[in-house]
Amino acid sequence: MAEKIYDVVIVGSGAAGGTLAAHLARSGADVCVVEGGPKVNTRTDFNTHSLPHEFPNRHIPTMKPGKPGFDSERSRGLGGKTMLWNAVAWRFSQRDFKGRSHDGAGEDWPLAYADMAPWYDKIEREVGVCGNLDGLEDLPDGVFLPPVPMKCSDLIVKRGAAKLGVKVIHVRKSTLTQARGPRPGCHFCGNCMAGCDVVAKYNSYDVHMVPALRTGKLTLQPDSVVREVMVDANNRATGVRYLNRVTKAEGEVKGKTVIIAAACVQSIALLMMSKSARYPTGLANSSGHLGKDFIPHFTGGVQCFLKDLIGKPTTNDEGFLDHAYVPSFMHNRKRDYARSFGVQFNYQNRRATGWARDVAGFGASYKEAVKARFPAFLTFAPYGEMLPHAGTYVELDYEKKDQFGLPLAKRVLGWSDHDMTLFREMTRWSKDILEASGAEIFAVGEKPQTNHELGGARMGSDPKRSVVNAYCQTHDVPNLFVVDGSVFPSASEKNPTHTIMALAARTADHIAQRAKRGEL
Amino acid sequence: MLTDNQPIEATQDRRENLKIIGAISATCAFPFSAGELYGQHEHPAAAAQAALPKPSFFSAAEMAQITRIADLIIPATDTPGALAAGVPAYIDYVCQRNEALAKTVREGLAALKGPADVATLEQLQAAQSPFFKAIKNLTADGYYTSKIGLLDELVYKGNQVLAEFPSCTIPEH
Repeated sequence: MAEKIYDVVIVGSGAAGGTLAAHLARSGADVCVVEGGPKVNTRTDFNTHSLPHEFPNRHIPTMKPGKPGFDSERSRGLGGKTMLWNAVAWRFSQRDFKGRSHDGAGEDWPLAYADMAPWYDKIEREVGVCGNLDGLEDLPDGVFLPPVPMKCSDLIVKRGAAKLGVKVIHVRKSTLTQARGPRPGCHFCGNCMAGCDVVAKYNSYDVHMVPALRTGKLTLQPDSVVREVMVDANNRATGVRYLNRVTKAEGEVKGKTVIIAAACVQSIALLMMSKSARYPTGLANSSGHLGKDFIPHFTGGVQCFLKDLIGKPTTNDEGFLDHAYVPSFMHNRKRDYARSFGVQFNYQNRRATGWARDVAGFGASYKEAVKARFPAFLTFAPYGEMLPHAGTYVELDYEKKDQFGLPLAKRVLGWSDHDMTLFREMTRWSKDILEASGAEIFAVGEKPQTNHELGGARMGSDPKRSVVNAYCQTHDVPNLFVVDGSVFPSASEKNPTHTIMALAARTADHIAQRAKRGEL
Repeated sequence: MLTDNQPIEATQDRRENLKIIGAISATCAFPFSAGELYGQHEHPAAAAQAALPKPSFFSAAEMAQITRIADLIIPATDTPGALAAGVPAYIDYVCQRNEALAKTVREGLAALKGPADVATLEQLQAAQSPFFKAIKNLTADGYYTSKIGLLDELVYKGNQVLAEFPSCTIPEH
């Protein structure tokens, strides 16, 4: 029997991989998704509803006993990070795609909002995104299910922010607020980031890949940790080489087109590990930009107690986590930094009570103070946009190997003056908004923390300064694509996953059109 | 070739939304076909607290000191305190698995030379003693993650089905 050669091999099964798999399989392509982690049953395998006291050490493990998955960056599980994400779904605006044109720093994307709008539409119709039509230029509206009502605490912050001319809007999430097909609407039972066992929250496995299996065109190959993209003498990618997650045995999956969608840092690492005589510093790295231009979001955060709620009866406000958001307001104001920030807030998981350690004192008065503050506790996390600079990058650490014997990816974070100015300003604004909301400030993050990893294999029209083009196709290898946060040339301050999914849909369409024309 | 999933309407009609989510029963059973039973879902009552092994790390004298201090940090008032929530056994369990923490606690206990009282703890707190911080953290963690601490004392109300998310009823002011 001849060796199977798929039309498309996709490495990774998260927001990008799952979207690509479904769209390409529906277009008629023969698709194989190669995922490092195991198949996970969303309904039964996550500890969605556990409380800390059920475990002697009081730490709720991600998985139920004996269920593998989500134990390392290279072997999470089918669905990838969408299994445990918070589902925040913003469209980027024209300013986000044209940051350099807007404030003279960083990079522009080689595409515009108008290029992306139809794909945001498509994803929103397909997976269901809830939100309010706010009519904000910098946060384009979309095709939304009804938003979730704000919590009392959101309204208190909304009133406070309004005193400073700052808007608070309903959050937008890839979570159903109405039943659709087999998926119920959200019933607000708790911590979305512990896994949504009813799939009211989008995950790429249940929402994209499972229905796509019905096409008969999609093959899922879990438990396969990809270590190398194979390239032939004609500079064509021919497939991937992997290690079995359990046995460590090596295997290959062959395809006519290869797409890397392994999440930002792991995609960069895979390209670097796939080095060769032709590409000595990493596959598709003739520009020398692979690993550079790494621009994760950074946050700090303020914890506080809203005085209006101290001593009030507790309510069940944990479900769906955050219901509101502070959209960017500085981008059109006078400021001494480029770009901007937005604030995610009030997403605390009320099962986590670590803050009680730092309430002052001890004895009956301490106990009373903690109890009174429990319903009033609120976290406020501004997210800022980093500009690319030489001090922040991703590289492989060949001294440190993981359980698969593969070099670990190392993130080097050198905070620039620009980053630190923005960090201080967004922290100051956070305190101001909370104080205007009548908050007792409790703890302030002193150092920037990264989240939402982006950049490192950036998109651009100049092959000397970028790794992929506007269709996520590598400049160097025509049948090799990279689709995930790594291709972002600028990061916006907005959560990136919705844009990653829209890019995946756009790239899938591009590949399907080219296949139809016989170009692949 | 299959078509895309059914498009959804861009509706902002809250009444329609409430009608649908209002139909969710308390046990949250959804009438879907076999194989796609995502909605069939129950939230059982909170499970019992995991049993902790009998303390074996600290000596009996050390355990007596730890018990006294935990009781001073979170005493029983009109609600149960650290001892009812099993905090001393939790401290023993955690320290057995954390060498650095165990060293801080053990050295701190030895320096006390006997049972602590409120005045001793006040002095240690004022001096920002690492021992005081360690034992307070352990006591707070053990208590507020216990079933008594989280459910009875703090009255945590999450992890339950809400047919609809209630709008805020705090009057404007």
